[in-house]
Amino acid sequence: MNHYLFLARSITHAQEMARVLEQSGIRVKTRRAGAGMTERGCGYSLEISENSFSQAMEALKESGKLPVKIFFVTNNRRQEVAL
Amino acid sequence: MIYFDSAATTFQKPPSVRNAVLRAMQTMSSPGRGSYPHAKAAEETLFRCRTLASDLFGLSSPEQVVFTMNATHALNLAIKTLVSPGSRVAVSGYEHNAVTRPLHALDAEVIVADAPLFDRSKMIGGFRRAIENGAKAVICTHVSNVFGYILPIKSISELCHKANVPLIIDASQSAGILPLNMSELGAAFIAMPGHKGLYGPQGTGLLLCNHEVNPLIEGGTGSESLMQTMPDFLPDRLEAGTHNVCGIAGLEAGLEFIRNTGMERIRRHEQILLEKTVSQMGKIPDITLWHADDPALQTGVLSFAVNNMESFDISEALGLHGIAVRGGLHCAPFAHRTAGTLPDGTVRLSFSAFNRAEEVDSFLRTLRKVIR
Repeated sequence: MNHYLFLARSITHAQEMARVLEQSGIRVKTRRAGAGMTERGCGYSLEISENSFSQAMEALKESGKLPVKIFFVTNNRRQEVAL
Repeated sequence: MIYFDSAATTFQKPPSVRNAVLRAMQTMSSPGRGSYPHAKAAEETLFRCRTLASDLFGLSSPEQVVFTMNATHALNLAIKTLVSPGSRVAVSGYEHNAVTRPLHALDAEVIVADAPLFDRSKMIGGFRRAIENGAKAVICTHVSNVFGYILPIKSISELCHKANVPLIIDASQSAGILPLNMSELGAAFIAMPGHKGLYGPQGTGLLLCNHEVNPLIEGGTGSESLMQTMPDFLPDRLEAGTHNVCGIAGLEAGLEFIRNTGMERIRRHEQILLEKTVSQMGKIPDITLWHADDPALQTGVLSFAVNNMESFDISEALGLHGIAVRGGLHCAPFAHRTAGTLPDGTVRLSFSAFNRAEEVDSFLRTLRKVIR
């Protein structure tokens, strides 16, 4: 299924973003971020459904807790999306 | 035992703290190191604890809450970030060795905002002069660990703000007892222990950060593992190695206890015990008490001395009767210099939310016996 991955700088940042999104009624799943997503190694990301993307971005912008990078995942292929 | 040494460590903890420590030991592993339930449980505990602290102390983000071993560790991080070797620093005349020893190790030029004991306006004047004379940072305790005296931290923070001088607040004796709001005070850092007024276990502490900060130790953080430098973001920058998860779980329960009970209620309880103690001890001959004239300017900490008896002898004798107090210098020679109580120091008693008025009565009866 198509979804977005929001890259966080740390587990705490991922948890903060997750809290904001959950408070906005958006379901998220916290996942480890592999080398393909962060050239610095070992990170965290949030998986967000395609349908929730706009609402999620709005909520994160409002709270000032934006992700480091965003990826769109379709057919198991990941593509970075401009912030 | 009657425990009146909560300024060192609150020994009586809410049962929820004990339970949380045990639960963490049974169900949690390392946070930020795995995707399995035990690691996730640890991660969630740390985040809940950071969030509680962030809300309680007026931070804009839980990322600004750094876990430390204790307040001393937190103060070392803050001091060694803001004070370069040999630079000029202003401190109060009430500081603990947790502040003054790191400054000594840095060979800092320490200006003490000297003022007679409990004299607020002269102390503020001392800080003003120190800042005018080029102090690059101000480090100030919120409450004296010897006398329970509440320092005019708001006025001091305003002086720092006007002069654009960073302020480090040592909240070791105020966290959990007095309102403390990072955004209102505008401090660069606030350091606090977990094991005193926050009712967490020993081995826990917090550094609240509002300024860039340098790590004291380097190591694994579970983030940016390809890099050989420490992450440049908080809290990872300062949290190398595996966390004290069990301790932090207990600290979370302690913070919940504070939030649910209310700081004002705890403060009022301690104030009632203090006022009772002061009024009764004042009737005992040969005793000198040090306390602020205005009870609003003092927490539940009281120092006293007995004519012709050493403070350690009194505390030892009370200990033999099952009463825990602390004699000596309380690691705060600056405070005793201010009070003129060097070299013997004082006997200090300090209350917590779990002390009762009957314990004060029992202490007073025993004290009369001991000094007879």
